[in-house]
Amino acid sequence: MNALFFVVLGLYFVAVVLQFSAAAFKKEKLAGLSWPVFVAAFALHTLFLVLRGVIARRLPLSNQFEFACAFAWGIALLLIVLRVKVKAVWLSVAAMPAALLILSYAALQPREITELMPALRSAWFGIHIGSAVFAYSAFVLAGCVSLRYLRMKKQGTADELKLQQMDYLSYRLVGFGFLFLTVVILSGAIWAEQAWSAFWTWDPKETWALITWIIYAVYLHLRLRRKKDAAFLAWYLIVAIPVVLFTFAGVNTLLPGLHSYA
Amino acid sequence: MKKLLNFLRSMRFGIVLLILIAALSVVGSVIPQERAAAWYAEAYPAWHTLLLALRLNRVFKSWYFLALLSLLCLNLTLCSLLRALAVFCGPQTLVEGCARMKTLVQLTPEGLTKLEQHLQSTGCRMTDCGGARVWHKRLYGRFGSFLTHLAILLTILVGAAALYLPQVVDLDCMPGESVVLPAKNGGTARFAVSDFRVTDASGRLDYTSALTVTLPDGRSKSGEISVNHPLSFGSYKVYQQSYGTAGSVTVTNLENDGSDVFLLAELSFLSLDNVNGLWYVALYPDYIVTASGERMPVSNAGGGYPRPIYHVQLAENGEQTLRFLVPGDTVEVGTLRFTFNEPVNYPGLRIKITPTAVNALLVVGFVLMLLGLTLLFFLPPVLVRVDGEGYAVGGAKSEGTRLELKTLLKDCEREAYA
Repeated sequence: MNALFFVVLGLYFVAVVLQFSAAAFKKEKLAGLSWPVFVAAFALHTLFLVLRGVIARRLPLSNQFEFACAFAWGIALLLIVLRVKVKAVWLSVAAMPAALLILSYAALQPREITELMPALRSAWFGIHIGSAVFAYSAFVLAGCVSLRYLRMKKQGTADELKLQQMDYLSYRLVGFGFLFLTVVILSGAIWAEQAWSAFWTWDPKETWALITWIIYAVYLHLRLRRKKDAAFLAWYLIVAIPVVLFTFAGVNTLLPGLHSYA
Repeated sequence: MKKLLNFLRSMRFGIVLLILIAALSVVGSVIPQERAAAWYAEAYPAWHTLLLALRLNRVFKSWYFLALLSLLCLNLTLCSLLRALAVFCGPQTLVEGCARMKTLVQLTPEGLTKLEQHLQSTGCRMTDCGGARVWHKRLYGRFGSFLTHLAILLTILVGAAALYLPQVVDLDCMPGESVVLPAKNGGTARFAVSDFRVTDASGRLDYTSALTVTLPDGRSKSGEISVNHPLSFGSYKVYQQSYGTAGSVTVTNLENDGSDVFLLAELSFLSLDNVNGLWYVALYPDYIVTASGERMPVSNAGGGYPRPIYHVQLAENGEQTLRFLVPGDTVEVGTLRFTFNEPVNYPGLRIKITPTAVNALLVVGFVLMLLGLTLLFFLPPVLVRVDGEGYAVGGAKSEGTRLELKTLLKDCEREAYA
């Protein structure tokens, strides 16, 4: 299992190196090569998660290592979907490193398969944590789209319609992530009531999930008001990424609470 | 007055409130909440006075945090009322409103054909409105934003009730015993534990109590509770909250041979005459034997009670004797014989008394919120007015449709003048 994990990590690394080399040396062929490597990495990544789930006899989402693996997988999955659905080839150069970075963080975590503690043995486990994977992945990808938006706008490599489409894509990603983050918070509340007797306890993880939710709710409203230009909103989504990452990893490390086991 | 009302219901005010709530939440998550004042004095010696004066030790219960939440509720109420007027008009009104729009994008005849073919192929229905054709689908999507805001309002209000209304009682109950709680309207509710296990059939840790709840009116319900699986009955909900380990002592009266088993978790005196008997002091998980052959209790870092040892004091004729005894040991004091058994695990129960409607309403709020967000982000309404000149996209959430058509028809535009 460890070997497979490092093969996946290595393939993502190769894909990112090829992608950046293509951009640096203006060799389109390298970018073309990067994509199959990335897809192969994603396929093996999926296999790794499935095998880990089979061995553990549960969803592989119970600790920082497993969640980070699933988080990186979510980013890769959404990137593939966007490349297929909306031909977002331009997104790879920002999204591939994001998946690689999250998986590199996973590599630093303990990788043992442990038995689920009684509090985690619930039907809500998959819904609550699985939704978090998709929410965080969508938010990080929205930031990646914004990064590309600002870069392409500055370079003048995209026309107005393309920029509008990119701006709208980041909005759609935030909408997708926002719905899933809402599922995370609401399913977590129901689960907490069953396990700990209270829907809400202002535990640091809950609180930061709410803070993240509010940050994206503010984005959605700012966008609706149209008082801020698209570049401002793109910067907003980039600055929001550290908040998502803090909710995912920082809270568990720095702010002890009921979720400290995760 | 009108200006104030407009401000209170404005999106700008809502955004400011959200930012303030988020900022205070950051403070509340970074500063540990609801500790004793002395703790803050030690942890933040330089500014603990200011911290306590600003109530940063209980941010989420402070008057200013609750005031912000109340203002957010007011903002949500007012904007939901305003929104209700717009969304509760019939679909026909929306279609007619769209038909009155001016053509915003002019198309070539080929472009018009392509547009209408596309609208038809994507499932839009056409309504003829006095010269203009209005293509539309998913008009129910207009409820998305309204439902979301209404659900957030409901969730905050009912959530506050769910946080502050329930009465919560934590208590321990030995297997084979029961505890009673006085009910609000008279009578008592009884909670009897018949069995408690710390592992399931496969040997995994899983704390399970067999429980019977009897309501003040005499109705009762039995079942097993474990972590994640509380037992609900009436307005009572019983949780498997914790567990402890109690000493077990069989006391035999040598005069009549009668005996009874006592489960002890705290300092207790077992005696017939309140003078001679046995003080149960504590139970320790493990012990070592010293060079002089005495048993000395020690803690067990690994958890559990691998070699339990009882710490007791024998009281006889005014004299106290300290003893460390292990399961199987027997001592006699006067006419009583004390036999020490293997310790027994017992559950810590949490009993929550909540009006049933609160939980149900909260779940309704959750469902409405998810429904509203799904409509808002995934099923927005489509309204396109088409005439001989070109088209216009109507509806509140029209950006997706507008971009989709612009991309589709960018080579067919004659003149875009808006």
